[in-house]
Amino acid sequence: MATIAYEPKRPNIASANVQLPAVRDYEQVDTEITATLRPTKAWFAALLVAMLCLALGISAWMYQIWGGLGVAGYNPPVMWGVYIITFVFWVGIGHAGTLISAILYLFRAGFRTTIYRAAEAMTVFAVMTAGLFPIIHIGRPWKFFWLIPYPNWRLLWPQFKSPLVWDVFAISTYLTISTTFLFVGLIPDIAILRDRETNPLRKKILAFLSFGWRNTEREWRHFARAYLFLAAVSTPLVLSVHSVVSFDFAMALTPGWHTTIFPPYFVAGAIFSGIGMVFTIIIPIRKWFNLRHYVTLNHLDAAAKLALATSLIVGCAYMVEFFIAWYGGVKAEQDYFWNRVFGQWWWAAWIMLTCNMILPLSLFSQQLRRNPTWLWILSIFINIGMWFERFVIVVPSLSHEYEPWQWTTYAPTWVDYTILLGSFGWFFMWFLLFIRQLPVIALAEVKEIVPPRLKHAHAHTPDAADDFEPETPGAHS
Amino acid sequence: MTGVLGHFKELDSAVEAITELKTARLGDVTVFTPTPRHEFEHAVEPPPSPVRRYMLFGGLAGCMFGFWIAIWSSTYWPLVVGGKAFASWIPYTIFGFEVFVLVGALSTVAGLFIHAGIPRLTMMVGYDPRFSNGDYGVWVECTPDRAESAGALLKKHGAVEVRGER
Repeated sequence: MATIAYEPKRPNIASANVQLPAVRDYEQVDTEITATLRPTKAWFAALLVAMLCLALGISAWMYQIWGGLGVAGYNPPVMWGVYIITFVFWVGIGHAGTLISAILYLFRAGFRTTIYRAAEAMTVFAVMTAGLFPIIHIGRPWKFFWLIPYPNWRLLWPQFKSPLVWDVFAISTYLTISTTFLFVGLIPDIAILRDRETNPLRKKILAFLSFGWRNTEREWRHFARAYLFLAAVSTPLVLSVHSVVSFDFAMALTPGWHTTIFPPYFVAGAIFSGIGMVFTIIIPIRKWFNLRHYVTLNHLDAAAKLALATSLIVGCAYMVEFFIAWYGGVKAEQDYFWNRVFGQWWWAAWIMLTCNMILPLSLFSQQLRRNPTWLWILSIFINIGMWFERFVIVVPSLSHEYEPWQWTTYAPTWVDYTILLGSFGWFFMWFLLFIRQLPVIALAEVKEIVPPRLKHAHAHTPDAADDFEPETPGAHS
Repeated sequence: MTGVLGHFKELDSAVEAITELKTARLGDVTVFTPTPRHEFEHAVEPPPSPVRRYMLFGGLAGCMFGFWIAIWSSTYWPLVVGGKAFASWIPYTIFGFEVFVLVGALSTVAGLFIHAGIPRLTMMVGYDPRFSNGDYGVWVECTPDRAESAGALLKKHGAVEVRGER
């Protein structure tokens, strides 16, 4: 086993056309990527921690069911709190997956190839997590089916003009399409696992899940067309879902909420937070599973530029909100924003501004964009900042509406925080189980960018690979 | 189903074999490839995939249903608000759009399944697990009297293994 190091002639060629010069043939792709399916001690430890967090969250939820919603931090009129904040947070996290897999696919952005599978899985599990919070929030979870739009016994249908009904349609459609998109993309990879599997039981399960996929040209032709159209309809869906979530707020006549900037502001924020979570997940994976020559610095660099762009849009939206409040001349709106930034909620607002606006400016530095450690640390700040963005949207508005009797405070209790922790446990438990069972990097798509074997030797050597890779790739023969 | 399966290590060898098989008209050719390649598409010259029609018709049906359910329920039990119309087109566009995407996408997947012939219960005639790994396969479905010629042609173009299957 030899370790190959490439010295870059140029420091940065992050572009749509990223290459994998350290990957030589299809066998190497299969062997190295499927190595993630073998459990390690670190994987078991991480799963244990995730399940422990989930158990704590479930315990807190059971306590809330026993004690009623009063054990959470609700303080009328602040009747939307941590649960709605966390719902919007997880829906936002769920955005990057379909953005990376669908929108970047349509734009032929090469850097998506090695990160989109993790992002797609992240999307599905994030939306599954988000879906729990309206149920937790209603207090009586056994009535959850009231959220589903169907008529009552007098055939009275739900109010289709209500943003909450729009939300149910949008989120359930998004979960269905994201799951479909993930699974359809997985079919050829499951077939690869099926063909490599030696355990008869697992082989049968994989044969069932791969639907008898045989890699024929005919299958690929219809697959490519279906994938293209799925990407084409998923693209406006990505943009619509968080727009609809923003309507939950923007349709209300509440200071800070009733603004036309909300849909693009929410969409940009969702993509920003989703890319943050992609970094949180993919950087440890590439390190622990020795996949640095698949998820290269060029991939991270390109994704970091996307994070920077969305951070700038979000930062611009923050500034425009302040401007509109000042320029609009509505006293309640102005008081609300003053209270948000310099008054009662200054600490939350400044956490948001620092994490989402100021720290991401570091990504203007090429050196930091290509520093995985910094990207990972920054991604944690982005996750924190985006949770606080939703806190700043939900709580200050409800605690400072038009009438003085509506001016109050809000403090989450240990129940809120524990259920929030449990949601991370739930999300990471599913993700860890996913990476143990299915390839976290798309095998078939990576093979598309690896030169095929030809009768005459291909010129795919380190010297001929444009010297894109400044990082030492994983050890391989 | 009887025929000959050629197993290739190199892409260009398989492409050349397919081109000559098409010219010789020895039988229907099925190509196995670990990843989609334009070279095979040019060699096989298949008709365009009809999957796009599933998206169009499924999407239109979904869109109409989304609008219909919202409008019908509003008129079925009218809630009169300040002389406004019972059905409100602008918010109902959300339902039209969401159900368009939902039904359109699921129809597309149905189209993929129908035309790709999956789920498939039996798959092993003319297939080798190495084709999902990195090798290429060319399956020529032909009568036994043509099998020898087809096998010879596959070998001529560099097939590392040729076997008859039924």
